[in-house]
Amino acid sequence: MSRLLTQIYLFEEIFAALQEAFPDAEFVVEDKPVDDTFLKLAPEKVRPAAELLIEKFDIYHLSTITGDDAGDGVRLLYHFWSSYGITLDTLLPYANLRIPTLTDLIPGAAFYEREIQEMLGVTFEGLATPGPMFLPDDWDGSFPLRRDSDKREAK
Amino acid sequence: MKPRMLASTPNPLATLTHRIVQWARRKSPWILHFNSGGCNGCDIELLDLLTPRYDVERLGILKEASPRHADILLCTGPVTRQSRDRLLRIYEQMPAPKWVVSMGSCSCSGGVFQGGHNILGGVDQVLPVDMYIFGCPCRPEAIIDGLARLLEQIK
Amino acid sequence: MSKITVPIGPQHPLLKEPLAFSLTLEGEHVIESAMRLGYVHRGIERLSQERTYVQNVHLFERVCGICSHIHTTTYCQGVEALLGLEVPPRGLYLRALLCELERIHSHLLWLGVQARNIGFDTIFMYAWRDREIVLDIMEDLSGGRVSHAVNIIGGVRIDLTPEHRDVILGQLDTLETQIETLLDVVENERSFQARTRNIGCLSLEQIRRYCVVGPVARASGLDMDLRRDAPTPPYDRLKFRVPVRYEGDAWARTMVRMLETVESVHLCRQILTTLPDGPTSVRAKRRVPPGEVVSRAEAPRGEVIYYIRSDGSDKPARVKVRTPTLTNLITLPDQLQNISMADVSVVLSGVDLCIACADR
Repeated sequence: MSRLLTQIYLFEEIFAALQEAFPDAEFVVEDKPVDDTFLKLAPEKVRPAAELLIEKFDIYHLSTITGDDAGDGVRLLYHFWSSYGITLDTLLPYANLRIPTLTDLIPGAAFYEREIQEMLGVTFEGLATPGPMFLPDDWDGSFPLRRDSDKREAK
Repeated sequence: MKPRMLASTPNPLATLTHRIVQWARRKSPWILHFNSGGCNGCDIELLDLLTPRYDVERLGILKEASPRHADILLCTGPVTRQSRDRLLRIYEQMPAPKWVVSMGSCSCSGGVFQGGHNILGGVDQVLPVDMYIFGCPCRPEAIIDGLARLLEQIK
Repeated sequence: MSKITVPIGPQHPLLKEPLAFSLTLEGEHVIESAMRLGYVHRGIERLSQERTYVQNVHLFERVCGICSHIHTTTYCQGVEALLGLEVPPRGLYLRALLCELERIHSHLLWLGVQARNIGFDTIFMYAWRDREIVLDIMEDLSGGRVSHAVNIIGGVRIDLTPEHRDVILGQLDTLETQIETLLDVVENERSFQARTRNIGCLSLEQIRRYCVVGPVARASGLDMDLRRDAPTPPYDRLKFRVPVRYEGDAWARTMVRMLETVESVHLCRQILTTLPDGPTSVRAKRRVPPGEVVSRAEAPRGEVIYYIRSDGSDKPARVKVRTPTLTNLITLPDQLQNISMADVSVVLSGVDLCIACADR
């Protein structure tokens, strides 16, 4: 029997547990193709929600973290996978591009957070950054994936 | 009195040595491969040359590990800003006479990645190129043809 | 004992692609390692925002030359979901055929590189010679050995006659015999085992913490394969096994990849014998309605994930690519801890490095 017996929770159960844990928070759920559900939440709720997913539902597989310059801020999408995709969707305003890191819970998030840090200028508090990751050593400090990166805004 | 050898008198032994060395360079060029930022397509077609179907060792071509042993530098991939210095250093470490062959569309002109924020362009932005081999990726037959034409020029 | 630092720099006979390592050795053993990516960073995500959806198929094929088809498959799958297109079954079966052929070619390539790195040049030559059969099949199908350009948004651009199908089935029979020989060597040959057993061990706990994917994860006991767990047609109709081993070392990874290669040959046969009739593609509109999609697929190296956001024009607003090699690279410092310098080559090639995929 090679398959590890992990229980697959329905998304409804997860949503119910989140609402119970954060009664005053507002969550917006959207179903997206191909097999994903997006859960919109405030930036400060991302880390507690990730803790809940890991501890209560054993959803530990973080596929990647997408950073997207949405026009009114930087949108971060944490794509989890557990037989279907669950994405935590949060928007950071330009004035405050800071969010706590997930690397103490999920060490595998390190490369994704470092990439967003250098491509979009988001600061992940608590993330160890031993140096540039993809950009060259002589890079001028601008953020390539920002919309206005042609103006070469410095950090 | 012993007759003095004038500097302008041709030394037959030196000419013979020179001709043997030139013959060896043409008949058995040793290549060094450096990928300065490519997708690997051209690299695996180059490695295919060493395998039983194409087998360039019967033509005298050997893939070397160190720049100091190589005659021909085979470059694949566009030159990224990070790999530019290393490419120059490898070229400087190769002993003269040396030739540079630009393999694949990306190495010839930047290919499909032209305009990227980390791309300087083809190898000819950095080094003097002696032979361009096109293709995306270039077929092993094209590589052998390109190398054969280069060797004819060496004469 | 004194410490020395050995750079395994961007240009090294072990590495096909530039990647800078700096290993600190005490005596013969590695005590610290540092890695610098970025030599192959071409800024593909940024470039994709300036090109149309159709031009991006050509661009994403060149993220990596070894697993080019799976990148375009994942991308086209996502764009088709945004457009609301339903690809005809024959197109999906042909796409899967190329995916499996690509898996075979990638694993045979990897076996040759792994064997070369441990000094077993004979297996390198045999594996790459057998790989030529796969490249011939792919060339007859699509016109290209390495870059096939088979996927279009809406399906595939190739088709197959029954005679051609019989020729491919014959070639697959030859290939299967050769792969069985290679599997026998990997499983039973003592020198291969001596170089790969107990090297670069990763426990299941480490795999879960680092979110490792692909054969590296399956070699340590994690049973995750997106072809079975998130089956898109035709994988929901095909029967195949997912090999999983528990040793977690370089030998287990080799075994998992070779067993997967055998399974892929069976899958190719199933696809060819149950190929449905009909068209191979549908017409796709140039402008994609606004929306976002997360598309996943199982590449030879693991899970590849694409996030595509469209804003209603004919150019994507954001395409995010995460390739499996980037996930697996994070385990290298753990694997390189305390191993002998001679085993570094085995560890580096064991994770099936494709730095072009990781850097994009």
